[in-house]
Amino acid sequence: MRHDPLKKKTIKKIFKVDIKELLREVSHEWDIYLPQKKIGGDVWFEQVPKAGKDFEDALMEMTLEDVDTVVSPKEIFFPQLEPLFDFNEGNIIEIAGSSPKFLLGVKPCDLQGILFADEFFSRNVKDFYYGNRIKDRFIITIGCLQPPRPDACFCTSAHTGPFAEKGYNLQFVDTGDAYLVEVGSEKGREFLVRFDSFFIDVQDTAAQNIEQIKSKASESIQLKLDFEKAISLMRSKDTVPEEIYRRTGERCIYCGGCLYVCPSCTCFNVFDDAKGGQGTRFRNWDACVFSGYTREASGNNPRHEKWLRTLRRYEHKLKHDCEISGISGCVGCGRCLSSCPVNIGMSSFIREITGEKNEK
Amino acid sequence: MKNEYVPYPATIDFMRQETPDAKTFRVHFIDPNLAGSFRYRPGQFMEISVLGLGEAPISIASSPSRHGSLEFTIRAAGSVTKAINKLSQGDTIYLRGPYGNSFPFEDWRGKNVYFIAGGLGFAPLRSLIHFVMDTRNDFLRLKILYGAKTPDDICFKEELKEWEKERNTEILLTVDRSTERWEHTTGVVTELWKKTSIHPGNSVSIVCGPPVMMSSVASQLLKSGFPENDIFMTLERYMKCGIGKCGHCNIGNKFVCIDGPVFTLGQVKLLPKRENVLYL
Repeated sequence: MRHDPLKKKTIKKIFKVDIKELLREVSHEWDIYLPQKKIGGDVWFEQVPKAGKDFEDALMEMTLEDVDTVVSPKEIFFPQLEPLFDFNEGNIIEIAGSSPKFLLGVKPCDLQGILFADEFFSRNVKDFYYGNRIKDRFIITIGCLQPPRPDACFCTSAHTGPFAEKGYNLQFVDTGDAYLVEVGSEKGREFLVRFDSFFIDVQDTAAQNIEQIKSKASESIQLKLDFEKAISLMRSKDTVPEEIYRRTGERCIYCGGCLYVCPSCTCFNVFDDAKGGQGTRFRNWDACVFSGYTREASGNNPRHEKWLRTLRRYEHKLKHDCEISGISGCVGCGRCLSSCPVNIGMSSFIREITGEKNEK
Repeated sequence: MKNEYVPYPATIDFMRQETPDAKTFRVHFIDPNLAGSFRYRPGQFMEISVLGLGEAPISIASSPSRHGSLEFTIRAAGSVTKAINKLSQGDTIYLRGPYGNSFPFEDWRGKNVYFIAGGLGFAPLRSLIHFVMDTRNDFLRLKILYGAKTPDDICFKEELKEWEKERNTEILLTVDRSTERWEHTTGVVTELWKKTSIHPGNSVSIVCGPPVMMSSVASQLLKSGFPENDIFMTLERYMKCGIGKCGHCNIGNKFVCIDGPVFTLGQVKLLPKRENVLYL
C-alpha cells in the first residue's frame, strides 16, 4: 500500500502576531537566535539579548520573510572566533559550558549546512566545543516562498530547499498572516504540546495547502543547474580540465569571502593571544584559498600555485565531501556568488564543467 | 566528551643538541596518572604547545618499548619550534596526543626492515628503530640508509655507532656536502644504492624525509622491484588540530593527521597527483 505523506501528519498553525509573545515565553529557557535587520539593512542571524528593553528592541528588528542573512547560522555553533581555553602563568583554565539555543527562521539550505557541520564535527574524534554548542538546541526552519538571493539561489538543483525535508524540529510555512507548522521531530511535537496555547488546530485542507505553497516556491527558483552531473564529473578522475581551475583562479582574488559565508565550511586556524604569561588560545575560521593554509614551517607549500587552491576549494565541496559522507558540501545557497567581488560562484563553476550555458 | 584541544603540562628532563638547529628533548607528564597511563606507537605524533605562541605537530622520536621515555627531536623552524629550542631542562611544555596512525610493525615479523631517512625525517624512524632493536628477534636483517645536508646535520650520532654494533645491522650514511673528515658517502640518499643491495622479497622499506627525497627514494625502490605496499612513508603536512577537524592537512579526501601520517606508497599513489605529495 502506498504511504500517503499528507495523512497522519500533525499540522498546526500560529498567527504571526503571536510570534513575539511565544519568543518572550521561550526566552525563559532558551537563548534565542533570530535574523535581525541591522542599521544599513544587512540581516544577521544573531542572539537576542536575554530580557528587557534590549530584548524588545531586537524583536523589533526581527525579520523572518525570505531573508538573506550575510553569514549562515552555522556561525552559532561554529563561531568565526572562539576561545578554546585561557592560560595564566602555566595554568590552563578550560572554557566549557553550553546553553540551550532556540533558532527561529533558519533557511532550509542553511539547515543543510548545519546538518553537514553536525556530521563533520562528530565524525571520528568528536569536537568538544561544537558538541557543547549544539546541545539542547531547537531549530525552526522557515521555507522560502521567493529566493532570498534571486540570481544566486539554486537549492532546487542541490535538493536542499526551498523547504527542508528533515533535520528541523519545526518548519513554518508562510500563508500570509499565519504560519502553518510542520513537525520534524519528537522534540518538535513536545514543543507544540508545551506551548499549545500558541498553536491552533487546522482544517484538513492544510496539508494540501502546504504542498501547493511548496510547489509554487520551488517554481520561483529560477537558477537551475545539473548538480548531479557536476558531482559525477567531479568524482570521475581528472575529467575536469586543469584549464578551468586555472581560468577561475586567474579571476579569483583569494579573499576567502566565499568560504567565510559558506554554510558548510569548517576549516579553522588556532592561535594564541597573550600578554606576558596570560592569554587565551582561540580558533578562528580559515580558508583553503589562502596561500598560508598549507605552508609548512620548512617553507614547503604543496599548494604553492593559486590554481591548486581553486581546485581544492571546488573539489572539497563537490567531490571529497561526497566521497567521505555521501553529502555534498555545497548546499546551493548561492552566497559564494552573491558575496564575490569578482563574480565567481559555485553556480558558474558548475555550469562551466557541465557545459551548460553560462550567462550573467 | 573529552576535550582534545587541551594540552597537558610536561617537564623537560633532558635535552641534547643534535644538529646546529635541532635538539632532542626528553619529557615526562607532570600528572603521575597521565604519565603512567600514556601509551603511543611508533609513527604517531603529538601537538606541542608553548602557551602564548601556539602549537606545532611533532613526531615522537622515542619508542614505547623503552618504558617512561617520551622524546622529540625538534628543529627550530617556526615560531613555536624556535621557542621550544630555547627552553632549558626543568622547563614546562604542553602536550596533547598521541595522534595519527602508526607503523604496522606487527605485519613485518620475520622480514628484513630497511629504514631510509632524509634530514630530520630520521626522528619518527628513530622511534621505530628503537622498537625494532628492542624486539630484534622478530625481524631479520636491518639496514639504515640516512642522508643529511652536512656531517653536522646528522642526528643521533652516538646511537648510530651503537646500532652498527648490533648483529645483522648495516648503517649507511651520506651527506650532500662533505667535509675532509667525512668517511662516508657524499651525495643524495639514492647514492647509497651503489653501496648496498636493497632487494624486495620478504622485506619492507620505511621512508621519511623531505618530499623531493621521498620521491627519488620511491622511484628507486620501485625500480628495484619493491611492491608499492611494502613501502611505508610518513608524510608531513601543516597540521593545527591533529584530529581531522581544522582541515589544513587534507590531501584529496584524506587527512594526514588521522588517516596518516603513515601511508604505503600504494596509498600515496591513490592521492590526487595535483596535491604534490610526491613528484613521481
